[in-house]
Amino acid sequence: SQGITESFGAAIHALNATHLTDGVIHRSKRMMLDTLGVGLLGSRTAVFNKALMYSQRSSVWGRSEITLPPHYAAFVNGIAVHSMDFDDTWHPATHPSGAVLPALLALAETLASRPSGLDLLLAFNVGLEVQGRLMRFSREAYNIPERFHPPSVVGVMGSAAASAKLLGLSPAQCSHALAIAVSSAGAPLANAATQTKPLHIGNAARRGLEAAQLAQIGLEGNPAILDVANGLGVYYGDYNPSPMADSGAFRWILEDQNVAVKRIPAHLAMHWVVDAALAARAKLRDTVGTFDLSQIRQVTLRVPPSKYINCPLPASEHQARHSFQFNACSALLDGQVTVASFDRAQINRPALRELLSKVEVETPEDNPPSFDKMYCEVEIGSAEGRSAAARCDTFYGHWRKPLSQRDLVEKFSVNASSVLCPEGVEGLIDVVG
Amino acid sequence: MFKLQKTLKPVLAVRRIHNSAVEAVLRHPAPDDTVTASFGKFISGVKPQHLSSVVLHRSKRMVLDSIGVGLIGSTTEVFEMALQYCQLVYGPDPISSVYGHRDTRLSPTLAAFVNGVATHSMDFDDTWHPATHPSGAVLPAVLALSDMMPANSKPSGLDFLLAFNVGIEIQGRLMRFSNEAHNIPKRFHPPTVVGPMGSAAACARLLSLDPSQCSHALAIAASLAGAPMANAATQCKPLHIGNASRLGLEAALLASRGLEASPLVLDAVAGVAGFNAFYEDYVPQPLKSPSDNDNGHVFLLEEQDMGFKRFPAHLGMHWVADAAASVHKVLVGVDPGKVSPDQVQDILLRVPLSKYINRPFPESEHEARHSFQFNACSALLDGEVAVQSFSPAAMSRPELHALLSRVRLEHPQDNPANFNRMYGEVQVTLVGGDILKGRCDTFYGHWRNPLTNESLRKKFRNNAGVVLPSEKVERLIEAVEELDRLDDCGALLSQLE
Repeated sequence: SQGITESFGAAIHALNATHLTDGVIHRSKRMMLDTLGVGLLGSRTAVFNKALMYSQRSSVWGRSEITLPPHYAAFVNGIAVHSMDFDDTWHPATHPSGAVLPALLALAETLASRPSGLDLLLAFNVGLEVQGRLMRFSREAYNIPERFHPPSVVGVMGSAAASAKLLGLSPAQCSHALAIAVSSAGAPLANAATQTKPLHIGNAARRGLEAAQLAQIGLEGNPAILDVANGLGVYYGDYNPSPMADSGAFRWILEDQNVAVKRIPAHLAMHWVVDAALAARAKLRDTVGTFDLSQIRQVTLRVPPSKYINCPLPASEHQARHSFQFNACSALLDGQVTVASFDRAQINRPALRELLSKVEVETPEDNPPSFDKMYCEVEIGSAEGRSAAARCDTFYGHWRKPLSQRDLVEKFSVNASSVLCPEGVEGLIDVVG
Repeated sequence: MFKLQKTLKPVLAVRRIHNSAVEAVLRHPAPDDTVTASFGKFISGVKPQHLSSVVLHRSKRMVLDSIGVGLIGSTTEVFEMALQYCQLVYGPDPISSVYGHRDTRLSPTLAAFVNGVATHSMDFDDTWHPATHPSGAVLPAVLALSDMMPANSKPSGLDFLLAFNVGIEIQGRLMRFSNEAHNIPKRFHPPTVVGPMGSAAACARLLSLDPSQCSHALAIAASLAGAPMANAATQCKPLHIGNASRLGLEAALLASRGLEASPLVLDAVAGVAGFNAFYEDYVPQPLKSPSDNDNGHVFLLEEQDMGFKRFPAHLGMHWVADAAASVHKVLVGVDPGKVSPDQVQDILLRVPLSKYINRPFPESEHEARHSFQFNACSALLDGEVAVQSFSPAAMSRPELHALLSRVRLEHPQDNPANFNRMYGEVQVTLVGGDILKGRCDTFYGHWRNPLTNESLRKKFRNNAGVVLPSEKVERLIEAVEELDRLDDCGALLSQLE
């Protein structure tokens, strides 16, 4: 009987365009559009520029005058995608598209015969599917991470699988691509909320592509890398792998489990707290007639327990994107949280700092650190003793409440317009759509 | 391609540092009292005068051995693949030398990569205690970085050697944070955990980065660390060292451009794993800087010497090979000529318990280098294990297979999976009923019984001689011997191109 690793190699090889359902095609195109948009926007960030300076044939998104060797293109474009924490999030938790799309586009540019759109879409979905399958090997993966940053564990695997697919590798080569990729996996969570976090996605894209190309050249790794305990399993506390079906009905995970698309360039959990804060703000305004900041005596946040997104006084944009407190207060102050909310000047506003000092965080027992089950509550206590509270269980953009097509395209347009001319923006919408 | 200038002002040491990056570093300095900051401070502040004569001597031996195994490793298949790959997919910027390929140059990180692959391609490189292969992760990066620097401002030999030692030291310090690290690994392959950190530290030192940048280099490297043991004994394993070297260099280069990462990566923060993600038990200690310490600095290499391999296989193999060789000697003494499987009824190996080096019938050279059984039987047959023992011809010998089928393993309680305390016993029961025993507690080459300088040079000549003419081989030996006295490490670099 087939080992698990072998089954993955076989499946990556055997899946073809006829297996793509309408639902999967639709959802994955939305993901591609969103990813391109956030990547284009992200090509204006400091971290992206540092990476670009460092790297020196494939195109760099938003820079018509530069090309880089494909791996570096995948690297910098992946960084761009994750630079503002604006990219999609899945359940179990990871950022699936950013690890795969930059690698595929960079690779596609180097191929002698250009892949069709459908070939690209198929490879993209293979990359997503493998990530989804691997995360389901561990219960630990279902919760907000504490040890390894998930994109660095499964992202590189998805990139390797997708690249292997686009390269048309044999089943054995596909398995070896996965094996080689595992040796490039695993970055610790401590670099989340720092300028280095975007490199986790950039490296996942780049090193997955590298793994596939090394496999193509004939490099071999452990053919049971997914099966054994000291293979991919080292990144998890509990690990229970199972094979991909080799024939019969194949169902894409994306069919049953959609992604969340972010409205705010911040950690996914921030979306709950922002929606709750805006609702509480509206309640208070409706009760009192106006919303007066100076009247706020205390702000209580009820959130799931997760150390790396609990940051009372963020000092950088990266920390701000990973701070329940900051996002709640920005929402209360401005009535919205946008790209501009994370500018240095905005982060350092005295009014915001003052409001931050009034925030208390609670982690109720019934609020698990899971993107599928968490909630956020914001309670504003005012000076006269009034309070207004609101709770968000599912923010707009979550997989349970997906963005409308119109709003998805709107997000893309706003992002892409930061670097592309209108024709470029429209052109991309048409091509992906 | 960009050139680096070595100046006295650390912050502006790399021409492309932007003011905004400098500002950023000053705005978010690593807090002083953290373990992470102490490492950054050490790397930035340590100087050549802190290298004792013992450390100079030992580290030069390591440099020599590492170059040698890298040169012979440049003839392997896995190296060829890595090189092909780099040339195929990467563009120009070819300024760094590639072991054993005089007309080939690659960009610095890729040169570090392929040379690291070469170094570990045959599992012939040095091993330390706690266990890792320290030199292969560091030397290729330091060489590649030195190649990057303009001809008229190459580091001195002493600066080169200092950077190398910083890379070794940091690896040793980090491994001492965990008890788990003291034993033969089970989860993560140590060179992939501490190797990138050592490479990052060494390169940060050579680039004269300031303490904060050194800390960030380590933190960036941590996000590039970690590969699982499952790929040991496969063709992929040498890439673990190649990647350690390359990625550490990348981390240092990124830090030099102002990239920032976690200022607490080495410290243990509950709920957010940093470097401790790779260990079950982890107790970090700050690293004292020489400036804080009246006695300068005592490098770990002073107190804990390096193991050098006499043949290209996992360190554990050396014990059983020596034990089996002593049995072989007795056998041919009794009945001069070759040892024949017909004489042997049973072979019992008493070895530590470690799954990835227990392989009854290895099918590839990579598996063979990680097989107690294979190495014991080869030594029993031939009286020694050598480079040629892993050739396809040697591996497919019928007499070897006959012996392999007669091997059993035992894992005595008193034989821990630990390179400082293990032993290897070979017990051969002959057909007539006689029992011959060999035991090795400390193989020749182990840190307790180090190779003599003559033996080390002999190994180097055998290795380097496969790809270089003998004049170059001798000049390399001289250059390494003189390294701390060279004004310009270019004298070493030029022998490698």
